[in-house]
Amino acid sequence: MSMPTVVLIAGLVMILAGCVGLIRTHHMLKIIIGLEVAMKAVTVFIILGGFLNGRMALAQAFVVTVIVVEVVTAVVLSGIAISLYRKHGSMDIRNLRSLKG
Amino acid sequence: MSSILNGIPYVFVAAPLFAFILNNAVPRERMRSHAVALSGGVAALQLAAAILGFALLAASGRGEVRFGLFWSVDAAGAAYLRVNLVSLFLLLCVGFVALASALTAAKTIDDHRCSFANLFMALLLGMNGMLLATDLFTLYVFLEITGTASFVLIAMYKSSKGLEGAFKYLTMSALATIMMLTGLALLFMHTGSLAFADLGAAALSGASGEMDILCYGALALLISGFAIKAGAAPFHSWLPDAHQSADTAVSILLSGIVIKIAGAYGFIVLVELFGDLYAVRLSVAALGVATIAFGALLALVQTHFKRIAAYSSVSQVGYILFGIAAGSPLGLVGALLHVFSHAAFKSTLFSGAAALHEQLGTLDIEQMGGLQKNMPVTGFASVTSFLSAAGVPPFAGFWSKLLILISLWQAGWIGLSAAALGLSILTGAYFLRLQKKVFFGPRNPRWDDVKEIGGTIRASQIVLSAVNLGAGLCFPLVLLYLQSIGLI
Repeated sequence: MSMPTVVLIAGLVMILAGCVGLIRTHHMLKIIIGLEVAMKAVTVFIILGGFLNGRMALAQAFVVTVIVVEVVTAVVLSGIAISLYRKHGSMDIRNLRSLKG
Repeated sequence: MSSILNGIPYVFVAAPLFAFILNNAVPRERMRSHAVALSGGVAALQLAAAILGFALLAASGRGEVRFGLFWSVDAAGAAYLRVNLVSLFLLLCVGFVALASALTAAKTIDDHRCSFANLFMALLLGMNGMLLATDLFTLYVFLEITGTASFVLIAMYKSSKGLEGAFKYLTMSALATIMMLTGLALLFMHTGSLAFADLGAAALSGASGEMDILCYGALALLISGFAIKAGAAPFHSWLPDAHQSADTAVSILLSGIVIKIAGAYGFIVLVELFGDLYAVRLSVAALGVATIAFGALLALVQTHFKRIAAYSSVSQVGYILFGIAAGSPLGLVGALLHVFSHAAFKSTLFSGAAALHEQLGTLDIEQMGGLQKNMPVTGFASVTSFLSAAGVPPFAGFWSKLLILISLWQAGWIGLSAAALGLSILTGAYFLRLQKKVFFGPRNPRWDDVKEIGGTIRASQIVLSAVNLGAGLCFPLVLLYLQSIGLI
């Protein structure tokens, strides 16, 4: 198997794993981890794109930016999760039912 | 004149940044009472600069003004930012809604005023950056800035509801990010560049004229991502939660402009780049019809004032998507004007929500009733926004919806045009229910001593209802102007 195929399959497995992890749990931190795994898979795709069309420098710039943006998202998401834990005393998303209709 | 025109785009970047730095450089206790006023000043400056820029650019006959922040844009292949008539009009809408929000915030935001002002400026910068971007990746980065500022604005007061709304919004938004970035990666794999100039239906199909299945996948992912950001059905579930739980000044921003810049502007870019593909326009139109129907039907059964307004935003975004999907200049003008009229009437409605919340302490419409006598200004402003939303002439909403209907008709989608017309009856229905429960009918004796709101909220309600009516009355003039500069 050639290198790009391996990377492509790895990316697809990661994105699938992230989404399955996201769907199969009610725990907030596990949801955040699932989202992060899926987002990391996207950086693999970008690198693969840069490798295939020979624009590695541009791809690296994209990936570094995506990693920074992702960290910000993860920090805000975990901050909100911690505040919710302090309110409800549990990390279960089934507690998030006060907004309905 | 030309030098003024070349200088104007810098205002949209420099003003929020300057306010941001000033907010943090001056000691907090001194800044506290001026922070929101400073934000309002930035918003007013942006409004004035956008109007001036639009008039100058239209008169000069140039298509766009290119500029770079710390680099020269003259070299071949250099990255650049730009403003054109579309982005200047949307910058005008951003300034307008931001001003309305700052007027409300002056009254409703009590704690953390400096933090609010900082996040407000970050949000403004994010939206302006999206409108100035010339490649899809820059668009994505500013989209994330806009998003992050709005999540923190919703969760800022750490109320149970605010945190819950922000968590739902953030989870959906992270999914949107994953979809969009995968789409961008696939496009990048295919074309080797994400600049608008290098993308397009022709670039995707290549020499053979046949499009790769991966490109269709990329476009589908991009459309789904922007649909989540715009709150289009069936991805709308986060929107009412987030918009209901935020402070009302933040709700004005979110409902009035953020969903349109973060979502609908993405569709404008996509249709501009890939509008030659019928499938792209058709899927945007399909999203539009589902969005209008879902939003309006769900708004009919809500009992929370802001939740009704939020579902109404969902439904009105559908009309904007219709205008974009038509793919003609007339459709785009209709969509942009609907962005403006929706911004005006939704800001009016949320200012009303702020007034009711300040005076009554609740927003449950089942407990209200007969408040027209107590709060005549709020009642009147609410009626103007209802009439504009329902598309009753001569209010602003009538004209923009009319242009969208005509553009759908011209695009050959007569069925969709009829559906848009029929579904606007539902808009009338849920707003009529809101009016009846809140302002008309017998008064709940609990509210006998309720007084009208004063100060900046009253001022903003008066100005906004004047805009609802005035923009509608002047609309033929606007159309003549647009025709004279060759837009339609």
